[in-house]
Amino acid sequence: MATVDHQAELNRAGANINSSWTRFTYYARRYPLGAAGLLIVIAFVVIAIFAPLFTSFDPTSTNPRTSLAKPGGEHLLGADFMGRDMWARIVYGARISLIVGIGSTVVGCFFGVIIGLLSGYYGGWLDLITQRFIDIMQALPLLVMALLMAASLGPSLSNTIIAISIPIVPHVARVIRSNVLALREMPYVEAAKAVGMSETKIAFRHVLPNTIAPLIVLGTAQLGSAILTEASLSFLGLGVPEPHPSWGRMLSESAAEYVRTAPWLVIFPGLAISLVVFGTNLLGDAVRDILDPRQRS
Amino acid sequence: MTRRSTLAVAVAGLLAAGAVGPAFAQKSGGTFKVQHRDNPSSLSIHEEATVSVNMPMMGVFNNLVIFDQQKPLMAPESIVPDLAESWSWDDKKTKLTFKLRQGVKWHDGKPFTAADVKCTFDLLLGKSKDRLRKNPRAIWYHNVEDVTVNGDFEASFVLKRSQPALLSMLASGYSPIYPCHVNAATMRTKPIGTGPFKFVEFKGNESITIVKNPDYFKKGKPYVDRIEFKIISSRSTRTLSFVAKEFDMTFSGDVTIPLLKDVKSQAPDALCDVNAAYVSRNLIVNEKAPPFDNPQVRRAMALAIDRDAFITILTEGQGQKGGAMLPGPEGQWGMPTELMEKMTGYGPDVAKNQAEARKIMSDLGYSADKTLKVKVSTRDIAIYRDPAVILIDQLKKIFIEGELEVVDTSQWHAKVARRDYAVGMNLTGVGADDPDVNFVENYSCKSERNYTQYCNPEVDKLIEQQSSEADLQKRKELVWKIEHMINEDVARPIIYHDRSATCRQPYVKNFVHHQNGIYSNWRFEDVWLDK
Amino acid sequence: MAAYLIRRFLLMILTLFGMSILIFVMLRLVPGNISDILFDAAGMVNPADKARLEAELGLDQPIIVQYWSWIKGLLTGDLGYAYVSEKPAIDEILPRIPVTAKLAGLALFFSVVIGVPLGVISAVKQDSALDYVLRVVSLSGLSLPSFWLGLLILMGFVHYFGWIPIYTDKPSSFWHEVGLLSIPALAVGFRASALIMRLTRSSMLEVLRQDYIRTARAKGASNASVNYNHALRNAVLPVITIIGIEAAFLIGGLIVTETVFNIPGVARFLVEAIRWRDYPIVQNLVMFIAVVTVVVNFLVDMAYVVLDPRIKYED
Repeated sequence: MATVDHQAELNRAGANINSSWTRFTYYARRYPLGAAGLLIVIAFVVIAIFAPLFTSFDPTSTNPRTSLAKPGGEHLLGADFMGRDMWARIVYGARISLIVGIGSTVVGCFFGVIIGLLSGYYGGWLDLITQRFIDIMQALPLLVMALLMAASLGPSLSNTIIAISIPIVPHVARVIRSNVLALREMPYVEAAKAVGMSETKIAFRHVLPNTIAPLIVLGTAQLGSAILTEASLSFLGLGVPEPHPSWGRMLSESAAEYVRTAPWLVIFPGLAISLVVFGTNLLGDAVRDILDPRQRS
Repeated sequence: MTRRSTLAVAVAGLLAAGAVGPAFAQKSGGTFKVQHRDNPSSLSIHEEATVSVNMPMMGVFNNLVIFDQQKPLMAPESIVPDLAESWSWDDKKTKLTFKLRQGVKWHDGKPFTAADVKCTFDLLLGKSKDRLRKNPRAIWYHNVEDVTVNGDFEASFVLKRSQPALLSMLASGYSPIYPCHVNAATMRTKPIGTGPFKFVEFKGNESITIVKNPDYFKKGKPYVDRIEFKIISSRSTRTLSFVAKEFDMTFSGDVTIPLLKDVKSQAPDALCDVNAAYVSRNLIVNEKAPPFDNPQVRRAMALAIDRDAFITILTEGQGQKGGAMLPGPEGQWGMPTELMEKMTGYGPDVAKNQAEARKIMSDLGYSADKTLKVKVSTRDIAIYRDPAVILIDQLKKIFIEGELEVVDTSQWHAKVARRDYAVGMNLTGVGADDPDVNFVENYSCKSERNYTQYCNPEVDKLIEQQSSEADLQKRKELVWKIEHMINEDVARPIIYHDRSATCRQPYVKNFVHHQNGIYSNWRFEDVWLDK
Repeated sequence: MAAYLIRRFLLMILTLFGMSILIFVMLRLVPGNISDILFDAAGMVNPADKARLEAELGLDQPIIVQYWSWIKGLLTGDLGYAYVSEKPAIDEILPRIPVTAKLAGLALFFSVVIGVPLGVISAVKQDSALDYVLRVVSLSGLSLPSFWLGLLILMGFVHYFGWIPIYTDKPSSFWHEVGLLSIPALAVGFRASALIMRLTRSSMLEVLRQDYIRTARAKGASNASVNYNHALRNAVLPVITIIGIEAAFLIGGLIVTETVFNIPGVARFLVEAIRWRDYPIVQNLVMFIAVVTVVVNFLVDMAYVVLDPRIKYED
């Protein structure tokens, strides 16, 4: 096997392998791209959480005098045609992206894990039925599914999260299930059975924790795609509604109308989306390499 | 001869010269490519209430009479014959008789007769067996008792009471004559008319095509061979493709004032008419939903509106302040400024109005710490959403904390009609510059288009009264009285009337856009391409 | 093999049947129906006329009855009439498919042409500067929203060439059409090429570490021959998988791209039809997309069986 044994390398380096900081710096040095991704993601999260500290403007307050103000000066990234500060909208927009990205990934992973765990562990008719459900859910491209969901639920922040999380469920469930199928045959599960532990307890105590690694890999990979899906839905007018400063929404209609007079309205939100997704993708790659060495890319 | 009539003669002479002059230069032929913004839900003008249908379809039809396609103002004086050669009122002014043109043929070859006129209005009055799926302007003809025919070429409108404005309604782009022998369902998909262009094809979300009718009864017209309306749903793509000269003309009023600068800088030779669309942005307040059942709260809201801020942001100062009727100079029924400024919330000192509003609100117990929280509902379309965002910002000043609730566009009118809202931002488009259209449609108790269900019997009585008033000045005064009453009732306070531009390439000749409406200047029979 | 095929086929039918129920129910959950939209468009409220319209379209019938009449029609090839255009749904859907198919085909073509060679280079030059650059480029491909890229491309074209590559007229020739479509296809294909590049790279790396490659090298085969003859042929398998998955996924990317470039394909049409609550169009179109997805997945699985390296290298 051509996998990397990080533990061995850490030992070889003679570091105190119990210090999490040492481990962290080791990984950061070994995966510089991943570290850069992590930095981007951290910056994004910090900006989202502490948005008011990064701008003194209210992202929703309009101002006739600053309509389509150019970048620079009072408005760092300019203003949209209602005179709303772009930097403030991007900063607060990070919140929306974060909430939708993490929210839908967490919701999708949660249900995906439960379904994957139950169907993989118990098998039988339960497995058969959930497998067919997963087939159906995966018979449509992700955005088409999210589009239909968003249309059925109507535009709102929480509905957007639900709409994006639903297509994630079957994806996660499938991966978790195949992991569980392998774990089920592990000696310690046999042992737990032998001592008379209940099936449910085994499933949640012994099998579930061992699916964490693939789950983290999947989750980070899904995060970027969830943010992109939100942007696409909002661009089509089906995602997060105004006045929430959603990056995708900022790119649709109003902004796109002014692509020529005020290109900053199109360039900055697009850059923000790209940068954050880029960061999560970098991070996702590194996480996968670390936790799932067989799939090293 | 008075000075005025001398002027009139001079103008008439100029017009006559103008009419002859370019006739030598007119070139026939060519395909006229026009942008379209959305997929109309059908092609039947009578079933729809949007310029999305009038613009591509008006050229397929004729009216009895029509607003002159070469004059920029729609007014009773600019009404010219179309399918009717002449018209006359009886002595009691309750019967309007049209003499019809002979030898006119429908696009399928059948002859046009007075029976078609009767059929059209029977359909609108709900008297025929065939029915329209939707009949949004039924209320326009609530005063029409019957349409009668006398032979094949004379038709009369019998009215319940006199109504001078009837002719203006018949001259609107919303009033084409439909054929008897084609049913309402077919008119939605394959319309047949007598007009200068024949309908060819409607490809959903793609294009609507009409071609020259070689048998058109106005000899020599139309000039272009073919008009293609291409549906492009993204406005940025529309702007870019007009600037790139892919199109000869933009969609009606598609170029907002902020965009106009861009278009002019990129395509300096483009001709852009800035016109009043006669579409107002207005505030709607549900008077049944507490605390808005309290007239004081509604009054405070009316006082809080800073119209200039809306107009500056959304139209760079080009929008107009006014009542329900389109203000001057384009509007025929606009109030004099002094009169308008007497209405609640229209006073020139906005700070004073807002202070008064704040006083009302604090008397009711609201303050900066104890705000009135309310959902501001609006349709999920930019032209609705953008003013709503500004409204919310302005309401903050009077201790009202609004949260935008965007309503899926399919639900908007139904939701308003159910009174399932508290405060809303709404748009109202008016088909013809006449109170018989605007007030009757939007403020009279029994109108199907009055979805806010505003109903004041006194106003209703005044609306009827002005409708039958023959003296123009007296009628105007009645109209202004109504304006004041509906404003004090806070029935859809008008925030502003929009202005926007329709642009065309310089080689598009002989197209005149009305300055006081968008629904009636799309016959295209005089347009030619100088290429 | 035959038994496996039959089993897969039956499962496909079952999936599609489930899909039909799902889409049918989901559509009815969407607030409002076509009559709401039509009356809203006319800005009027008239419950009696609205009820008449609903009855005319069969929307007043129990949902089971509506479902059955749809499925019955589907099985007999009658897709019903579109609500908005009042034309047969089949005539609305069919002419739009070739446009989307061409766009998707071109996008796929670009993504393979770009993705596979770059993936191979990246793998062969693993951990070199070039490898890092290529990886970052491919990741950025995965990170740019395709509609944003499309918008920037349109802006650039109008700005620098005074010409807009959108689909306003029917293209005059095949090559004209390919030219028009290749710009949006690049915008969509960029993303797919990134995925393909990454996968090619990782599966190349995997293969390059295998014993038979070492054996080939030991036997004195040249580096290039090893890389391209042995490794690539074996690395191609997962790439086929991703191409299959991407082919279906592309539809998603096409929805926004068709909107930006005004391409009259099925993807944008679907969005419009959802907006109009045009059930006959949405239901049948979604079923069509599901059939394509399921069949492509099936073909990918078949390709796996046919191309499996273990079968190849047993001799």
